[in-house]
Amino acid sequence: MSVAAERFPLSRCAIDLRDYDAPDCLIYGIGNVGRQDDGLGWAFIDWLENNHLCTRGERLRHYQLHLEDADLIHRKRRVLFVDATKAADVPDFQLEEVHPRMDFSFTSHAISVPAILATARQCFGQAPTTHLLTIRGYAWALQLGLTPGAKRNLEAATAYLASLSFQNHSSGVRSR
Amino acid sequence: MSRKLVIDPVTRIEGHGKVTVILDDDNRVMDAKLHVVEFRGFEKFIQGHPYWEAPMLMQRICGICFVSHHLCGAKALDDIVGVGHASGMRILPAAEKIRRLGHYGQQLQSHTTAYFYLIVPEMLFGMDAPPEQRNVLGLVEANPGLVKRVVALRKWGQEVIKTVFGKRMHGISSVPGGVNKHLSIEERDRLLKGGDDLLSVDQVIEYALEGLELFYDFHEKHRKEVDSFAEVPALNLSLVDEEGNVDYYHGKMRIVDKNKSVIAEFDYHDYLEHFAEATEEWSYMKFPYLKALGREAGSVRVGPLGRVNVTRSYGENTPLAKAALERFHDYTDGKANDMTLHTNWARAIEILHSAELIKELLNDPALQEESLTLTPPESAWTGEGIGVVEAPRGTLLHHYRANREGNVTFANLVVATTQNNTVMNRTVRSVADKYLDGKAEITEGMMNAIEVGIRAYDPCLSCATHAMGQMPLVISVYDTDGRLIDERGR
Repeated sequence: MSVAAERFPLSRCAIDLRDYDAPDCLIYGIGNVGRQDDGLGWAFIDWLENNHLCTRGERLRHYQLHLEDADLIHRKRRVLFVDATKAADVPDFQLEEVHPRMDFSFTSHAISVPAILATARQCFGQAPTTHLLTIRGYAWALQLGLTPGAKRNLEAATAYLASLSFQNHSSGVRSR
Repeated sequence: MSRKLVIDPVTRIEGHGKVTVILDDDNRVMDAKLHVVEFRGFEKFIQGHPYWEAPMLMQRICGICFVSHHLCGAKALDDIVGVGHASGMRILPAAEKIRRLGHYGQQLQSHTTAYFYLIVPEMLFGMDAPPEQRNVLGLVEANPGLVKRVVALRKWGQEVIKTVFGKRMHGISSVPGGVNKHLSIEERDRLLKGGDDLLSVDQVIEYALEGLELFYDFHEKHRKEVDSFAEVPALNLSLVDEEGNVDYYHGKMRIVDKNKSVIAEFDYHDYLEHFAEATEEWSYMKFPYLKALGREAGSVRVGPLGRVNVTRSYGENTPLAKAALERFHDYTDGKANDMTLHTNWARAIEILHSAELIKELLNDPALQEESLTLTPPESAWTGEGIGVVEAPRGTLLHHYRANREGNVTFANLVVATTQNNTVMNRTVRSVADKYLDGKAEITEGMMNAIEVGIRAYDPCLSCATHAMGQMPLVISVYDTDGRLIDERGR
């Protein structure tokens, strides 16, 4: 068990961002920067880019998942989705491995990550290893900028991932 | 005693709406209404912004038909800067073709979403099928090959949008007086010929035809049910060209009756001379109607069914869609079609029509021209503009005024779903009469029938009220004492 894993709850997965530094890997920020903390997914991608991390992996910022993302991800080996959450039982952030599951969540505005994975497997024959990083947000009004609480949670999430991935180089990685 | 029915998943529309059905003591339907309970916002907060921001901001009303709002706003700006109606000018042909390409791409993508993702599952599994089955994820399990082709079709439509507007959502291409980017040969060839991860345009046409065949099969098996479901009267409105054929980007407004006689035809800049809007205390969505005929007789239907009812034909440049349209027209012996579920037939035809129109445009060398914008002299400034396009859901109007400093002082939007307000309410009443009337027990399938009727219009209630926020639909059934009998919602 790594030092980093000991410092964080065991319920959080351990991933190494260096594993995403390849063209067949995708880091997908979901959200809307025009809706305050809904911009957390994109802010995570900003953090990666500001720190020149995962530069060979594909990085995307989209408002929402679409069914055709099943086509996109079936071409990838490893995918990390990053999204904001309102869930009160997520104190700051959560990192979990996601498996294909038809949860019938589809509307034209939203579809879940497990359903996208299930569609990839069912229609395109394969689904990648997938993790979902959800970061707690607090405000969703039509306004730019994260709330202070959301910024703290983003920093906690990025510090966690940095410590897992770059234990010997963490001083060189900045949080926004 | 009241009881509450909860169903998950529920409806698949864009917007926050509510249906109420009032039953008497014998469970007879006394009234049925579609309420739209979102709050308007965009028309107000655009005021004070620079005029050129309007097409960029207004498109954010919607994540589905943003291209329509962008282009409608751009056409209004053409007027404002003096490259439009008042000056008797039009933007350069190449610029208009690029706008049209993006417009048709969005129609293909939007209709594909509505038709295949939201409607086909119900066609294949039935209105009474379990909710967890009658959606696209149920379709994934039942027919993954079809979904794979549909995903590819919608993706191709999105790629057209991305190519023209720079982003797959809320991109920017149209500027006052034209567009800011042409299509490179590489971009054109990618759409024409496809690639490892993209269909060719010929495959798109093939898949669109397959979608139309799905409707034919469904109709063949369920003809009586489909034809008798909510046959409701309304006039039909669409933009048309000089030949009286639908023009999704520009044209005159034409309104036809059941016999396809032209009731009114006018320049869309004169819309307010011909239309008034009624309001009801139970809905934020207005009820437009032709002043000359009054509210009851003067309400119109827009969107796929309205357009195919209005258009005389399609051009020879889209032969497959033209033949499909002729079959549609023959079905009602040349009369306008009031059968609500035939909207889905019309939508499938328009997917094919869009694909053929796109193919024609992609082969037009004008898309590679460099000169794309007209810059009129300052003296041409009019300060007022109106844009109208045929959005996927129907006729869309943007009207802006700006002061000499260039800031927006007024904005008004009349969107397709608003135009359809009266006919949607007639549909809800018709379905309630047929499926709920006199029934002691309200089943989930009966309630879903109301949603099927609404969904045929693919309404965008958030567009219609220019709302911000999350968007559930609730259906409630009350007795005559106002007690809740049944309710479902998300």
